[in-house]
Amino acid sequence: MRVTCVVNGETREADDVWPGESLLFVLRERLGLPGAKNACEQGECGSCTVYLDGQPVCACLVAAGQAQGRTVTTVEGLAPGSGEEQLDRVQRAFLATGAVQCGFCTPGLIVAVHDLLARDPAPSDPDIREALAGNLCRCTGYEKIMEAVRLAATS
Amino acid sequence: MTMRPITFFRAGSIDEAVAAVSSHPDSAFLAGGTTEIDLLRLNVVQPTLLVDVNDLPLTYLEDVDDGGVRIGAMARMSDVARAPRIVERYPGMSQALLLGASEQLRNMASMGGNMCQRTRCSYFRDGQSPCNKREPGSGCSALTGINRGHAVLGTSEQCIATHPSDVAVALVALDAMIRTIGPDGTNAIPIERFFLRPADTPSIEHPLAHGELIVAIDVPALPVARTSRYVKHRDRASYEFALVSVFSAMRVDDAGNVAELRLALGGVGTVPWRAHRAEEALIGRPATPENFAAAADAEFADARTTPMNEFMVTFAKRAIVRELSEVTS
Amino acid sequence: MTVSTVAPATVEGGVGTSARRPDGILKVAGEFAYSSDLWADEMLWGATVRSPHPSAEIRAIDITAAVALPGVYAVLTAADVPGARHYGLEVVDQPVLAIDEVRYEGEPVAIVAADHPETARRAAARITVEYAVRAPVTDPEDALSRGDLVRHVPVRRFASAGGTALTADVVVTGTYEVGMQDQAFLGPESGLAVPAEDGGIDLFVATQWLHVDQKQVAACLGLPAEKVRLSLAGVGGAFGAREDLSMQVHASLLALHTGKPVKMVYGREESFFGHVHRHPARLSYEHGATRDGKLLYVKARIVLDGGAYTSSTPAVVANAATLGVGPYDVPTVVVEAYGVYTNNPPCGAMRGFGAVQACFAYESQMDKLAAEVGLDPVELRRRNAMTTGSVMPTGQLVHGPAPVADLLALVRDRPLPPAATGDPRERPGGVANTTRGEGVVRGVGYAIGIKNVCFSEGFDDFATARVRLSVVGGEPAVLVHTAAAEVGQGLVTVQAQIARTELGVTKVTVATADTSVGSAGSSSASRQTYMTGGAVRAACQAVKATVLARVGRAGELALVDGKVVASDGAVVASLVDLLGNDVVEETVEWRHKPTRPLDPVTGQGDAHVQYAFAAHRAVVDVDTELGLVRVVEIATAQDVGKAVNPQAVVGQIQGGTAQGLGLAVMEEVQVVDGVIRNPSFTDYLIPTILDMPPMAVDVLEMGDPDAPYGLRGVGEPPTISSTPAVVAAIRAATGRPLTRVPVRPEHIAL
Repeated sequence: MRVTCVVNGETREADDVWPGESLLFVLRERLGLPGAKNACEQGECGSCTVYLDGQPVCACLVAAGQAQGRTVTTVEGLAPGSGEEQLDRVQRAFLATGAVQCGFCTPGLIVAVHDLLARDPAPSDPDIREALAGNLCRCTGYEKIMEAVRLAATS
Repeated sequence: MTMRPITFFRAGSIDEAVAAVSSHPDSAFLAGGTTEIDLLRLNVVQPTLLVDVNDLPLTYLEDVDDGGVRIGAMARMSDVARAPRIVERYPGMSQALLLGASEQLRNMASMGGNMCQRTRCSYFRDGQSPCNKREPGSGCSALTGINRGHAVLGTSEQCIATHPSDVAVALVALDAMIRTIGPDGTNAIPIERFFLRPADTPSIEHPLAHGELIVAIDVPALPVARTSRYVKHRDRASYEFALVSVFSAMRVDDAGNVAELRLALGGVGTVPWRAHRAEEALIGRPATPENFAAAADAEFADARTTPMNEFMVTFAKRAIVRELSEVTS
Repeated sequence: MTVSTVAPATVEGGVGTSARRPDGILKVAGEFAYSSDLWADEMLWGATVRSPHPSAEIRAIDITAAVALPGVYAVLTAADVPGARHYGLEVVDQPVLAIDEVRYEGEPVAIVAADHPETARRAAARITVEYAVRAPVTDPEDALSRGDLVRHVPVRRFASAGGTALTADVVVTGTYEVGMQDQAFLGPESGLAVPAEDGGIDLFVATQWLHVDQKQVAACLGLPAEKVRLSLAGVGGAFGAREDLSMQVHASLLALHTGKPVKMVYGREESFFGHVHRHPARLSYEHGATRDGKLLYVKARIVLDGGAYTSSTPAVVANAATLGVGPYDVPTVVVEAYGVYTNNPPCGAMRGFGAVQACFAYESQMDKLAAEVGLDPVELRRRNAMTTGSVMPTGQLVHGPAPVADLLALVRDRPLPPAATGDPRERPGGVANTTRGEGVVRGVGYAIGIKNVCFSEGFDDFATARVRLSVVGGEPAVLVHTAAAEVGQGLVTVQAQIARTELGVTKVTVATADTSVGSAGSSSASRQTYMTGGAVRAACQAVKATVLARVGRAGELALVDGKVVASDGAVVASLVDLLGNDVVEETVEWRHKPTRPLDPVTGQGDAHVQYAFAAHRAVVDVDTELGLVRVVEIATAQDVGKAVNPQAVVGQIQGGTAQGLGLAVMEEVQVVDGVIRNPSFTDYLIPTILDMPPMAVDVLEMGDPDAPYGLRGVGEPPTISSTPAVVAAIRAATGRPLTRVPVRPEHIAL
């Protein structure tokens, strides 16, 4: 089947899509956008978080066909351009605080934090933890991710 | 390429969706997909036609019957959880929704889909082990396997798989009604009849005809539910299924007696478990910890446990007593 | 030739600064190429057929139906392996594809290449394997009594010659168990194998040690090493799980067979079968002490379940044995550590590597002893703390700093966190509102651990670095090239920092790690900053010597800000002028001081390179009626010798602490009759952000004179003692013995 959707502001088409494929697979393997990550592909880690029609979802549990005609924003679509100064404030904060180690959870976390700060510009620590409970990280113990969110909220 | 043949069809109307599924034997509705896509990939379900119902005009919440709420089947869990009329009238239901899965999943998962979510029993999900729910007649591996998280209420010799939903626990306590449209027309199913205990047919979980689509969930007006609560005990602080969860809504009269009580349990039953025995034991009786404990004992009198999950009975009783005591205090 | 001894000033982005990760921008932008992100024209997808049985004879394999499936390009079994049919890190005993039998659930039996991952999986499902199932050996004690021994390491040291009687006024005993932990890195095993025109293979893969992969892959392919070229693709975490091979040989076989690039990406479930786990262990201890709490002897018996193949079990057993009494002065030690073969999943390297299991046991014992003699747990530990000049149970003298008592004091003296506020999210059960304070008791627990850094027991442990200095775009630039695996820890940052400090050049690029340069050894054993850092420093110093030789006054000169500077600060020359179009390149193979094997009977010998220490204090609130634990705070104190990158050091400490917390309260691979029952993140729980508390960190920098910049390996120590600290805190709150980890609610509240 053909799947057409708006990804990061551009209309994109993928052909020969098997209907059993996930939006994650389409993004990564057919549209050249590997930013959303394939850590569990069961909705249990949040590393594939993307915006679907403005809501953060796990792209691994969205069937390709469900994305037909929808709007998708991935981590690659958050920065208006390349280069550090062009990064979104959440991305810059992750860099500055050392919240990135292996980085596999990072794209999903950045989308989740981007969404959190859009809804709540000044979240408390418990608010941050609650909002990010769907994103697993194995490297950092989350402390520097907390720092990153606090920094992003104030920058 | 040789993939499993699957056809994808996005329905433009309810009638179209119902017709598409009912006319095709190996078909299934696809709502949010947070369970179904997972099981599809695990080969636990193998439909050859997926009928996407995400475009159907079923995302509404509207008032019905002087204070009740009708929830469209495609309303997303996160939207329902935060809807002011749910938060005000049924705070325990809002809490149950917010304690399920993660924000990303709640944004995608629908209310109707939640009613149809499948068990997390690892023997069901592994696609290989004997499992009467997945492969009728093949046996139940959980009976003698790892069953720490398995049900102690409503079980049978055929199946002890736990029902995983949180919000369904609230809905059984609230006497919700499941509204469907199927090939034979509309139907309204009281929610406790919607969830079938495994008995001899664990593979049949709901009294739905093939092609019968949940279109709405009606939650009746219930003033006592305005102080309802939902608590969830689990092995991890979030993003995890319940060991035991408790939904409660209770009114104690001036004499200190339980005047009204709605009590339901998650994590311990093969279906979202309405604690009828406990309710009956308490209505009209003094709201005391001793009576709460006696009611909890009554509820679990017929519990069937394994060495691994017998602790759940103790935990569930303690959770009930604590919860009702808190509501009273 | 002498090299300037002028101490390097703090250089911008140099050693001691929290320089940014060079890969950071790509990682936050989603553009960093992980091993599962790779793509090539005409690429095929690989899939693996795995044994459903922990032990079985293979009677027949029928691939006909799989081969017949359109889109399938190759189906291979053991008979198709052209070279060695086994591989292994230390002992070559693991079949590339099962030969006549399978010895654990998930053992690879056949592999498939197809034009779509679903087609490959479907084809794999159509391969029929006829098994004659055997009863698996799954109890390590059974295995031991059958003689299925991987290694026995005794460590025997006596206070007085001939004094073998173990007696003391105070004796405490205990038996402890540690469940099987998974590394649970997020980036699954994956990579891309591309067939080359010379008949060789180019393999892009996430690994911890390119050269040990290369050696094994080449042997299995029957190719000379130079025809098997590996490049490091982006690594999504490792923690030990990438030390053994996973898909490397399989993808290469399929690529050579089909003549097309082949990508293999494990799903999460397959990942649980695709790598080794932390050894489950059963540990019996007896501690004898004086009435005032001075240790007289420790006797221990440790049994580690190695699973079906050897992997790194021999070294894990040695660690458990030699570090088995902890960072304490113990006059008499009798430790017997065993690793055994079973039909359980193979176990091998995971962060902490044998020291984790022992630490849970000996620290539990120290608490028990403290209670027995009526001492505060920290005071008891301080009374027995080893110091510089102490002698290990192996007889090895501890030369470097051993600030064990200081680390304990640091965590003890931190202010305790305040009692929980009214926010229900700060109570056990958190957001789920399970208590308003009923049944909640606070507990505080302490633990300290010891870990060896670098490879031990006489292993020829070295790292290679190539450093090139030239003028690029009008300014001096350095290219650092090693084969060291950046797995997330920040090794690329550290390499660049060292080059900036040593060569006084800001513009440093770290080339992609690959096998076109010599081995760097493994990114494990907390060794890479020490070893590859040491190699980069040595190569930089060689480059510097060459450059300064051109000026002719080497002994007095330094490189600062791209200039050659005299000791009085006068600029002698700029590097741009001095180099012109020349390239100065040096490659250095660098070694730490040699170690010795352990005596096989007494366990005596200078087996380890360096010791590292971390201490934890955990504060928990426990719902004693319903068993829920909320870790309120964990404080860590660790001696890192020199914090080469302070931000990264703290990141390692916090991340390691989190993995120890996970083992304490939730993480366990459940294996029943040899079968893994929870191979998913649904059922294998790792801590979420709501499970993790604030983590205060004290970093000590007591330089080790033998190590580059005085640094001490950082990665593993924080994982080791956080588990016993958390459990000690739960014990303090509940009074329960809690002899097994992970601790579950039912162990607390029933």
